[in-house]
Amino acid sequence: MEASNCMAPTSSPQGEQGLIDASPTKEFFISMLTRDIPLERAIIDLTDNSVDGAQRLRPTGDYDRLWVRIELDSKHFRIADNCGGIPVDIARDYAFRFGRPKEAVGTPGSMGQFGVGMKRTFFRLGRHFVVRSTTAESRFTVDVDVDEWMADGESPEKWHFKFDKLETGLHVKEKDTGTVIDVDRLLPNVADTFALENFRSRLAAEMSHAHALTLGRELGIALNGLPIKHDPQELFASQSLKPGYVQKSYASKELVGEPGPPVRVKLYAGVSERSLHDGGWYIFCNGRQIVRADQTPRTVWEKRHQMPAYHPNYAYFRGYAYFDCDDGALLPWTTTKTGVDADSPIYKAVQQEMIAMTRPVLTFLTNLEKERTAAPAVRPLQSAISAAQATQVQVVVHPHPFVAPLPPPAPSGPRMQRIQYSKPVKEVEKAKQILKVRSFTAVGEKTFEYFMRYEGEKG
Amino acid sequence: MPPSYRIINYALRPAKAIERRMLCAAFERLHPFQRIQDYRYVGFGSIYFSDFQLLHRQLGITDMLSIERDISAEACFRFNRPYKCIRLKFAASSEALPTLGWKRRTILWLDYDDRLNVSVLRDIATVCLRAASGSLLVISVNAQPDAEPSKEGRDLYEEETRRPFDLADYRLRIAKQLIGEKLPPGTSGADLRGQDLGRVFREVINNEIAEQLSIRNAVLPDEKKIFYRQLFHFRYKDGAFMLTVGGILYRTADEPIVRACRFDTLPFIQNGSDHCSIKAPCLTAKEIRHLNSQLPTTPAVKLRAPGVPPGDIQQYAEVYRYFPTFSEILFA
Repeated sequence: MEASNCMAPTSSPQGEQGLIDASPTKEFFISMLTRDIPLERAIIDLTDNSVDGAQRLRPTGDYDRLWVRIELDSKHFRIADNCGGIPVDIARDYAFRFGRPKEAVGTPGSMGQFGVGMKRTFFRLGRHFVVRSTTAESRFTVDVDVDEWMADGESPEKWHFKFDKLETGLHVKEKDTGTVIDVDRLLPNVADTFALENFRSRLAAEMSHAHALTLGRELGIALNGLPIKHDPQELFASQSLKPGYVQKSYASKELVGEPGPPVRVKLYAGVSERSLHDGGWYIFCNGRQIVRADQTPRTVWEKRHQMPAYHPNYAYFRGYAYFDCDDGALLPWTTTKTGVDADSPIYKAVQQEMIAMTRPVLTFLTNLEKERTAAPAVRPLQSAISAAQATQVQVVVHPHPFVAPLPPPAPSGPRMQRIQYSKPVKEVEKAKQILKVRSFTAVGEKTFEYFMRYEGEKG
Repeated sequence: MPPSYRIINYALRPAKAIERRMLCAAFERLHPFQRIQDYRYVGFGSIYFSDFQLLHRQLGITDMLSIERDISAEACFRFNRPYKCIRLKFAASSEALPTLGWKRRTILWLDYDDRLNVSVLRDIATVCLRAASGSLLVISVNAQPDAEPSKEGRDLYEEETRRPFDLADYRLRIAKQLIGEKLPPGTSGADLRGQDLGRVFREVINNEIAEQLSIRNAVLPDEKKIFYRQLFHFRYKDGAFMLTVGGILYRTADEPIVRACRFDTLPFIQNGSDHCSIKAPCLTAKEIRHLNSQLPTTPAVKLRAPGVPPGDIQQYAEVYRYFPTFSEILFA
């Protein structure tokens, strides 16, 4: 029976009956879509869309007087912005569609890249959402009850979200444009989490990091009425201490074998405010920070790159890498925008530059530490840091290597050796009195000289 | 530098002594849950074991554990243990707490010398994730704002930040080192001075409790979900500003039992951001006896003690039942 079955010529079943329905159910789709995204990230995805709006409105990147306001509590979530609104075609072909059509024209240099952001966030948060958006020419409302949408059937046309209101051909003043998104009937775990002050702190911190560059361009982001602050990307600069700066451009042809926009890369390395926690490399893709204060082999550290491991002596170190491209697909970011795609050819190439730029800074910091422990009267390296001014990296325009003073040549004369030991305080104080000296260093030197005077000749 | 228990005799800190007795009076109210004697007490007894002595004598608790991080002086702690029923565990609290069994209802008084920091928050998390319904958690921390640092401290700040010295920012930097990302958003250096530091610390503690309970509750059915109700919020100053906050952890189904405890009838109970300020006026033994003979009384009746400022009399009247008496005794 089995054999004959194998041997028998099989005829393909005809028509509908032969199709296996591989289209996902809405429920399955939602659960897969929302499974891997932390709540903070889902919300930051929405702010990315606002920033893209700002970018469409002001391509020069000056976001003065533009704002994004997020309000959340255990009942309700709202994000509102005045960043130009979502154009109807983007809403129809991209924002509310499932999966992003290859031919869709996005915002050049945009943050939202993967065609899932908005919908994923809505499903992650609650069961009812309303999007109201006004651009210079149009106004629309999309109001979706997720439970009804899920119950409405699975045929392809039932997957669409519909415009509840749509007006086009309008003339709206720029200041009246923008988007307001409300989500309610929050999922129980989301409602619980939104009630936690610690969640809001974490969200504020992550937004501050993710949008460090955008905040620097004066975009005002607020969470429950509190403005989000950011740490500017600064390096110390002066005549004797200059951050390293390298500019590179990678042609699309070389990266993916097809013509397309180039990837522009700017790299800065130098010293800044000493902080164990904040030292390391920072990586931005189209203005979105995806790696913060990296101290691991993912950037430049440790043996794999013939580099030292990150260490408190390097707490002054900062490196900033900016990748920009009109086609975000060419950038080395992961889909969640929480990390760098370490295997991408562009990142591998740039990583070598980053390592080369890091080395001279670490040498300077090692010498600085040597100078500090030797505690000489003159400290040229420390003075170089003291004399420098914190300078925003964007101000640096001419590429040049890292400049720092060299340690002074070792003083002439015999080679010296430091000795260190501990003795009971009482005895040391007594020795200090007998020797009539003031410092412990002098106690050490005088007692050594005393010993050498009487015993040193014998050897 | 000698350990703090050699600098100050804890038994002689009068505000602390009052606080200890007030807490004891509140612990006594837990009887609707079970016999108080059957509770477990976990604390940091140091070498004086003042809290352990009081709770064993007043409440008859026998399951007592003192966590001691100073491993180098084990013999000293063992020698000073006042009762056989007190067990000692030599480890940091962050290591000791997770290893305890948590089925038993427990009164914990985590009485730190330090300021609030991530390791204290970790201990709070450990307790909130495990403690049985009907357990009490009390946390005391130093809430003294940073003073203006010495010249070296200021120079170091300027060297590391390349900014002129600024006390508010200096305090903010330290608070970030202590609490990290759990510092509430919008906290500025100006929020970290005077009594405000205590306010921020209480907020951070409450946020941590809320977060940990939400993690614990996410996998529990409604009737077993655990709630926290604040009962204590003391501020006092025996030298440094101190903050004590705490309350009861109970599951939904035990709400009527919590009500039966009638904590609210105790005058020092505080459920929110208002605090009970403990001040111990300096009075002689004779003045104390004289005032006691007029107490208890109603606010309308004027208390008298010759030469004692009215403010001190008022303060005394608020705490007289918990007031410690210090006297010199000659042991023979």
